[in-house]
Amino acid sequence: MEWQVEATATALVGRPIGKIDETTWEGFQVHLLDAVSQAAAASLPLVIDLSGLDYMSSRGLRVLKIAKDAAGAGAPITLAAPNDRMRQIIAISRYDMLFKVVADVASAG
Amino acid sequence: MMRVRFWGTRGSLPVAQKADVIQAKIASALLAAAGRTFADAAEADAFARANLDFATYGAYGGASSCVEVEAADGAFIVCDMGSGLREFGIDSFRRIAGGHPPVYHIFLSHLHWDHIMGFPFFGPAFNPAATIVIHSGHPDAETALRRQQEEISFPVPFEWLKAKFEFVVHKPGDTFDAAGVTVSMVAQYHSHDSYGYRFEKAGRAVVYSTDSEHKLDNMDAEVAFERFFGSADLVICDTMYSLGDTVSLKQDWGHSSNIVAVDLCHSARAKRLALFHHEPTYSDGDIQRMHNETIRYEELVRADRSPLEVICAYDGLEVIV
Repeated sequence: MEWQVEATATALVGRPIGKIDETTWEGFQVHLLDAVSQAAAASLPLVIDLSGLDYMSSRGLRVLKIAKDAAGAGAPITLAAPNDRMRQIIAISRYDMLFKVVADVASAG
Repeated sequence: MMRVRFWGTRGSLPVAQKADVIQAKIASALLAAAGRTFADAAEADAFARANLDFATYGAYGGASSCVEVEAADGAFIVCDMGSGLREFGIDSFRRIAGGHPPVYHIFLSHLHWDHIMGFPFFGPAFNPAATIVIHSGHPDAETALRRQQEEISFPVPFEWLKAKFEFVVHKPGDTFDAAGVTVSMVAQYHSHDSYGYRFEKAGRAVVYSTDSEHKLDNMDAEVAFERFFGSADLVICDTMYSLGDTVSLKQDWGHSSNIVAVDLCHSARAKRLALFHHEPTYSDGDIQRMHNETIRYEELVRADRSPLEVICAYDGLEVIV
């Protein structure tokens, strides 16, 4: 799993690339919690661009919730651009009830 | 060979089918038949099996947790004493009449009501020839069963029971023999603790792991469960809630999700997963949908692993392992 992060005028965008499973979730957690801190410091919402992600299993999904808890209610995290596989995983896990999910990063605002 | 019989699969509270639910199933079946005629009940049954989904033709059932693992030498092995225990007890009389010894090894996941409520209605407890060994990780298992018989809750005190009882308390990590079956036990996260059991005989392994939450902030601990589930032929797993529920509204309620169960089985290289401890508010249609979604999730995250077969437990299901 690779990780890229970019600050735009309207959001901090984190971009995991590859897959997040039982072998890669710990690295994802470190990067994501760091991004939560960066977003808070810059007073920007955090968008996770899933376009480069093949899939995420429960470990990755649970890291998303850890990040959501760390960010707090005032700092929403938006999931953007999931592929078809990730859209199904988000629906099956009912994470679409926990996170705003949008079709692309531009729609996250 | 091991044979697993599900006598009770519902979580938290037994559920009864109401008339309107049965009526809706019959109406759906008649619509599917579309005016066909059948020579006899067997032909109608064959049509229904081939053309109706399980939620219409069957039912996941409503008795609370009770699972039999048939593998022991001259003894019954039973996991939990939910309301499904009553029917198991009646069926065991039938088998005892056929020559089976009246010896029972019962393994308790924990002492919450839905897992012991069948005990006051367990006929073999009144059989003076029966030996009933209660295995548990809880030192207070005997207290829980005796208390349930007290007059404020039930009219038959424990002292009136005729069977010979033995209470055995095990420690997590213990491996021991029960009537020729090798049993190991793992501690699980649940209110007042719960324990999972692994039964092994002749190269086959069945795991019973219910009422077990895999915590958001303790994912490192799951390595122990991956080992415990390791290469099991069948893992019976608490899949009461969605993952979304277990990490939000129902966090710390002590239950797991279908998603985490699949991932643990994948990591463990287990062969088959039985979804178990169904949410009592779920209709048969809801449980069937959860089953189908779990099958799909397994496909989505399988990667290069061997396929994990996902079955959905229902009262009356028998699985050959």
